[in-house]
Amino acid sequence: MFTKFNKKHKSIFLDPNTQKYDLDEKVNVILSPAYYWVKRLTLPVKYARDAKKLLPSIFEDTLTDGNYSYSAYKDGEYFFAFAYDDKVILDALEAKGISLSNVADVFFAQSELDFDGALKVNETQSVYFKDDILVLLPCCWIEESGSLDLEQIETSKHSITLAQFGHIIDSKSLYKIGVILSMLIVLVIVELFITNKKVDDLVSKKDNLFEKAKLQSTMFQNKATLKKYKTIHTSQMKLREYVSIILSSKLKSGESLKLISLKNKKLSVEFSALSQSTINKIVKKLKLKKVEYKSEQKDNSWNLEMKI
Amino acid sequence: MKRINPLHIGLLLVVILLFLIVQLNSTKSDLQDVSNEYASTKQLVSKLSSLKSIYGDKNKIKKALKKVLDQKSLKSANITEKSTKKGIALSSPSMSKKALDTLMSKILNGSYNVSKLKIKKLSDEKVSLDMEIKW
Repeated sequence: MFTKFNKKHKSIFLDPNTQKYDLDEKVNVILSPAYYWVKRLTLPVKYARDAKKLLPSIFEDTLTDGNYSYSAYKDGEYFFAFAYDDKVILDALEAKGISLSNVADVFFAQSELDFDGALKVNETQSVYFKDDILVLLPCCWIEESGSLDLEQIETSKHSITLAQFGHIIDSKSLYKIGVILSMLIVLVIVELFITNKKVDDLVSKKDNLFEKAKLQSTMFQNKATLKKYKTIHTSQMKLREYVSIILSSKLKSGESLKLISLKNKKLSVEFSALSQSTINKIVKKLKLKKVEYKSEQKDNSWNLEMKI
Repeated sequence: MKRINPLHIGLLLVVILLFLIVQLNSTKSDLQDVSNEYASTKQLVSKLSSLKSIYGDKNKIKKALKKVLDQKSLKSANITEKSTKKGIALSSPSMSKKALDTLMSKILNGSYNVSKLKIKKLSDEKVSLDMEIKW
């Protein structure tokens, strides 16, 4: 069902002395021995992936300073081990006008070429197998049987992936950073989970509060109810304070309180036969308590009106 | 060059981490909002419950008022009670000043929502009373 189209790409031989390319299609790049170090050896391991771990120490004495990547594949009882500098190869690709987007796969000439005798690869150099290792030699050292014909090449599975930023940061550091980032992601996810749980708990506690206190369904309604009760409380406090002021006024003989009335939030009081000094005392008390009032003298009566 | 570049994976991890951090900040802000809302609801519930129990508990008010009116000094005051949907009305065409003092001290020192009141002096010793208490 999932058919993968394995398109056969054209191959080019990448060598320091080859010409510049002008490509408009993907190509397989076959690296000249000039771009890698190779060793054929037996190792006390079974798989190439285990052998790869040993390569840095195997090449330790051979390589000059630089950031190297390693590759290996098994051929019978032997391993072919490779060391190469990604940056050198990437620079060479750029210098030859080959964009990385046009590179399908990268191979070592060692794994891809198979011939007898010597083959000319450029004007001055030939390649030649010596003890199963492909080596680069000046043309004059050996007599060639022909030129390299890349059309005939069937590529193997031994391709390599060039580390584009390997010269900036090595794979180990990259993996460490990956592990740290993954751990941070896990921590943030845990924190996110805990915070979400706290939000849910608080929402549920809030709902319980509503249920327990038999509140109305919205905060708006409850706030309105609270406002109503606060208004009642304030007016009742005022009523008690004003009544207390009125009842605590000492009246002289003949003076009397005829009526106390509360209607529509207005407290009305009617006194009879009050002397001016008594009126002054009551007014003084009202002013001291900062009570807003209206007063009216009518015949023998003195009427007082306060808003609660 | 078919293998995924580890740097791309690293970049993806950074993007995921940033996205999660933004999510976490948003959730923390939500938590702060919910926490504030919970605190204000708790405060509202506490205030509303206490005020409601003072002014809105019909049975409590009725019971307390009955206790007041059952006092010996108020028995002879001819106070009539009339319950309505919204409250209770107390009235007496003529009661002694002493009975009025007793009643008013209990009402004004208690937590009642007095919405209407009319005390009229009839003579030196007698007064008339009309009062409405709401719940």
